[in-house]
Amino acid sequence: MYRSRRDWLFHAGGGLAGLALAQLAAGGKTHFPAKAKRLILLFCPGGISQVDTFDHKPELEKHHGKETKGANTITPFFGKRGTVMRSPFSFQRYGKTGQWVSNILPHLSGCVDDLTFIHSMVTRSNTHGPALFQMSTGSIFQGFPSIGSWISYGLGSENSNLPAFVALPDHRGMPPGGVAHWGNGFLPAAHQGVVFGGEKEPIADLRPTGPISGRAQEATFRLLGDMNRAHLEAHANEDALDARIKAYELAARMQLSAPEVTSVAGETDTVREAYGLNDPELRPYAYNCLLTRRLIERGVRCVQLFNGAHFGSPRVNWDAHENLEINHGKLARVLDKPTAALIRDLKQRGLFDDTILLFTTEFGRLPISQGLGEGGRDHNPEGFTAFVCGGGFKRGFAYGSTDELGYKAAENPVTLYDLHATMLHLMGLDHTRLTYYHNGLNRRLTDVHGHLVRELLA
Amino acid sequence: MLLAAAVPILAAKCLACHNSESRVAGLDLSTRQSALRVVAPGDPAASKLFQYVSAGKMPPGKPLESADVAEIKSWISAGAPWGSEEKLVSARPRAGLDWWSLQSPVKPPVPAGAEHPVDAFVLARLKEKGLDLSSRADHRTLIRRLHFDLTGLPASPGDLSAAYEETLGRLMRSPHYGERLARYWLDVVRFGESDGGEHNNERMTAWKYRDYVIGAFNSGKPYTDFIREQVAGDLLAPGDPKLTAATGFLVCGPWDSVTKITNRDETFRRMGRQDELDDMVTTTFATFQGLTVNCARCHDHKFDPIPTRDYYQLTAAFHGITFGERDVSTGEQRKERDDLIAPLRKEQDGLKRELGDIEDGKRTALLAARYREIEMPRQAGAKHLQVNPVFNRNRFAPVTASKFRFVVTSNQVNVPPKIDHLELLPSGKSVTDWTGSKAATDDAPQILEIALDAPAMVNEIRWSSDRMRGVKDGAIRVYRFEYFDDSGWKIAGSMLDHEVPAEVALPEVTDAQLEAAIPESSRARRRELTQAIKDLQARIDAVPPLQTVHAAKLEPKMLPAFILDRGSVSQPKDEVRPGALTAIRQLDSKLPAGSDAERRLALADWLTSPKNPLTARVIVNRIWQLHFGAGIVNTPSDFGFNGDRPSHPELLDWLAVSFMENGWDIRWLQRLILSSRVYQQSSLMNAKAHAVDGANRLLWRMPVRRMDAETLRDSILAAAGSLNPEHGGPSFLLQKKEARGSYLYRALDNDGPAVWRRSVYKFAARGGERVFMDGFDCPDPSVATPRRSESNTPVQALTLLNNAFVLRQAGLLAARIEKESAGPARVTRAFQLLFSRDPSANERTQADEFIEQHGFALYCRALLNSNEFVYVP
Repeated sequence: MYRSRRDWLFHAGGGLAGLALAQLAAGGKTHFPAKAKRLILLFCPGGISQVDTFDHKPELEKHHGKETKGANTITPFFGKRGTVMRSPFSFQRYGKTGQWVSNILPHLSGCVDDLTFIHSMVTRSNTHGPALFQMSTGSIFQGFPSIGSWISYGLGSENSNLPAFVALPDHRGMPPGGVAHWGNGFLPAAHQGVVFGGEKEPIADLRPTGPISGRAQEATFRLLGDMNRAHLEAHANEDALDARIKAYELAARMQLSAPEVTSVAGETDTVREAYGLNDPELRPYAYNCLLTRRLIERGVRCVQLFNGAHFGSPRVNWDAHENLEINHGKLARVLDKPTAALIRDLKQRGLFDDTILLFTTEFGRLPISQGLGEGGRDHNPEGFTAFVCGGGFKRGFAYGSTDELGYKAAENPVTLYDLHATMLHLMGLDHTRLTYYHNGLNRRLTDVHGHLVRELLA
Repeated sequence: MLLAAAVPILAAKCLACHNSESRVAGLDLSTRQSALRVVAPGDPAASKLFQYVSAGKMPPGKPLESADVAEIKSWISAGAPWGSEEKLVSARPRAGLDWWSLQSPVKPPVPAGAEHPVDAFVLARLKEKGLDLSSRADHRTLIRRLHFDLTGLPASPGDLSAAYEETLGRLMRSPHYGERLARYWLDVVRFGESDGGEHNNERMTAWKYRDYVIGAFNSGKPYTDFIREQVAGDLLAPGDPKLTAATGFLVCGPWDSVTKITNRDETFRRMGRQDELDDMVTTTFATFQGLTVNCARCHDHKFDPIPTRDYYQLTAAFHGITFGERDVSTGEQRKERDDLIAPLRKEQDGLKRELGDIEDGKRTALLAARYREIEMPRQAGAKHLQVNPVFNRNRFAPVTASKFRFVVTSNQVNVPPKIDHLELLPSGKSVTDWTGSKAATDDAPQILEIALDAPAMVNEIRWSSDRMRGVKDGAIRVYRFEYFDDSGWKIAGSMLDHEVPAEVALPEVTDAQLEAAIPESSRARRRELTQAIKDLQARIDAVPPLQTVHAAKLEPKMLPAFILDRGSVSQPKDEVRPGALTAIRQLDSKLPAGSDAERRLALADWLTSPKNPLTARVIVNRIWQLHFGAGIVNTPSDFGFNGDRPSHPELLDWLAVSFMENGWDIRWLQRLILSSRVYQQSSLMNAKAHAVDGANRLLWRMPVRRMDAETLRDSILAAAGSLNPEHGGPSFLLQKKEARGSYLYRALDNDGPAVWRRSVYKFAARGGERVFMDGFDCPDPSVATPRRSESNTPVQALTLLNNAFVLRQAGLLAARIEKESAGPARVTRAFQLLFSRDPSANERTQADEFIEQHGFALYCRALLNSNEFVYVP
């Protein structure tokens, strides 16, 4: 009765379509042959300054203290126009490929030969809220499905005991915008990111809060299975009822398997040291990095990892409106070692080649100071740096550039839509065909935008 | 202007081939310009178009009716006017003006074969496929079904003995009826009680819209009134706060205060305003018209005949309103309040003056002494520079001048900066009570000038904005202090040198210190005065505050509307006047360009006109979906090309027209649907029918539905006997906004009767931390959800098994039953409460074994997790 499969998909609506697409993909039928099976999204809320990390701009030194004029007059978010500000950090070339990294990231600078830098990222808003939502969902409006939800919808899970999509918020707090970052939007709830909440209580409601013995819990699962199967006999061939029986079976297995995944007790001293687990300041983020590897290893499709939290005071994310030297210095120390360890670990365990890691922030920061002499920088959606690695991306490569001050993307601007399209491509999905009908449109992660950036592919 | 009658004929009959994309034979009839190739205005005989259609050559094989040919002839004779449409959209790959949902519904004859019209239409389609309705479900199932559908609560064991019709009538009169329908409506209109976005502020009065909706359903309000009040209730009855609350509809969606207000970039602020208008227009047309007009924001709608011009005309209808809190008190109430407060305040002021005479001199002296004691670390560059309302110090290299000024370049938004005390040191020259004229910016700084009689050396300033109360209104954020010398103004000090006291060191004068400083003779009077002022304040505070509500707030100034090229605020094109949709040819799309009231009232009339082909169809379909899980059109907010085609178009039209004939009465419609055999049939699977129509679009059975999130939570509460049935009022909280500068709603594990209310009363935060219901497809209100998904996940299983809420309620359920019955009777009672039936012998044995080992409470918890409890057959 439907003219095409696409018609059927959007007319079926609800959970059916999601299930169908996931199952198609599970049978190996992605749109293209997939280079990558898994995705790690490392998001740094607040806005990391490109010119103080990866986008080295010697001109800032030269023009330090001068005003920007003419076409380059800059309108900052808070309206306080300062003067050109040099980076408080020093830069050096690293690796065989000679990429610039500032001295606040000594461990990541050792990984540059494995990374592809994109120095010409642009985004649509200079305001945290919309820009953050675009980072996580492609849309500047709240309520759209997150990248991980699209991946779960498109590819399903590789592990029947664990969710397809896990979110690991920063230990210092939830990201601004909260659960919207891993929300399923209009996709069925099955594609929602499941939050693992740190070392102490990894998964909400994994175990009963009361004093219920393991034996009683097992007996409950048995009783429920018996009752539900008897009920199903009276409602023969009712798929939904059958699916719910299976969901309880999976829940029972998750109860058993999750503690094994979330405990790092069995990791060697070398690994613990490499991630920084022995350093109390690094430990919570280091644990999340190590957990990311453990989840990826066990077939979780997408892990969304945060470095940086909400807009509290004092600052617990990268939003360096005041003293950037202190803010970025402090946050970079937590970011650097565990992230570098994760990249190396993926390589050592043979996971690097079919896992994509995306490192990004919602926007960059301006090359001028915010106001006069406060040592901070305001928001900059016109140019910033992201990096990707693994899963079919080039190694030791830099793409695009900003102007001489590091303000606007000059050469080969890349939008988040482009980046999302390219990641989907490597995972075997055509961003124009990964769609879901909602309120009048076959919605996509990339809306009506997005181009594959072939130059980034190995 | 209405389109010429012939143009829709072209749209319907010719454009499938002769459109701007296909251009069969090189002909494009979608614009007047391109149609002139075959049309000679004023001369039908010379027009190829007329020659072809009159000869029956076109459309090939399907010649036009003679009336249509005549219409085309007279149209050409009249000069081929085209109307306001520049372009007719083609019939494929997108909808034209001939699209089914844009045509007026006509009541079709009821097919033979059944007495009940709903049955007759459904049976007719089933018979085409060789199928039939299923047999009637048993009485118990039907009573449960009615309860869940009409109230969202389970039937109690006593309800089962009542007859079907009687139950139907009783449930429609229950106050729970409105709560059930409202929950569904609130999904459709994306009702939330926080702004969303970065700041995500609470809307503490948004619940009044929710209560309006519940009340509207419970009072059986005609649907047309329901629409009119939501679009323009404030204008229909200016004195009635409830009807102003109804306009909460327009502004209950997400709103980004940061882009709209905090942002200093004018372009982004204009974008914020445009997003605001977009949200109102989108929701209004998706809700009442089932159209996705928002697609026309950047370009003509790609699938439906909605040009960008229409979209901007629609936004113009809303230019008079914005998001916010609205004072809904009447002039009388305000006067009443003023009359109560004024004499109290007057008396209080007199006492304050007298107290001031006793205290002020001493207090100032004491404060001055305290200020001198404060030692402060120099804050420059160390951390976020905070200006303290009570005390700030700035030390700099000495300068000598006779003219100084304090330049504010940024302060908290929307109010002018103020300084209540500024002292130059070491001279001691001071200024008090200065307020700027407006909020300060880099480009328009606010300046306080200080002129001395003679040049003096200054190396320090101390200042405060509200030294007595510490209120931060208009707090200064960035300033510099300048002096004047021969060559002009120079900076002496700025935020760089700014110092603030550590919190502990804030200067204050304690009551004891003040008491000690005051002469013995005045102390008794001072105590009397203090007490009297306090008492008066308590009486002032006791006067009820003015009522406000989160509803459509009036814009002080209505700006003109422009078509924005590609939706960009920096590229305005033609100015447009307010208007509705030109594709609805049954109605004049022009709206008055006058006041906000004229615009919105006219739009409300347009939406509720019986000539509007969409309004009745769309709501009839929503109600149908409420009872069958899927609509006749399965995309309830999209009746356009990209939406679903109706499974039973005649039934939809018959229902739509009958609904209008019966006073747009929703209860009439439900009574009709629920009295049909279609609704009362069994939900059991039928392999033969399933093979023909797997999706059950033809309704050969009743679908099995999982309880939605709210019904599930409410049913658990009801079964446990803990449901608090209180109706209306402020929402209860399962999440709380985290203070301290972060903007997240943290999940709370609140317990007790205050939160054991129906879930429709739960505070609907946007983007909050997960609570019990979220895993069960309860949507975040950031986007409209005209139809929820029904997913099935292990996370749901874990939640329903292990969540503290469920465990506690299972315990209460067990305790409730054990109070009423003992031994094996407990199991019977549990089955009756949860499944409306008695247990079988087998189930009893199973239960006894489990209870013996693990206790009755855990048994109850298992029952709450069972498929039989969670699914409505």
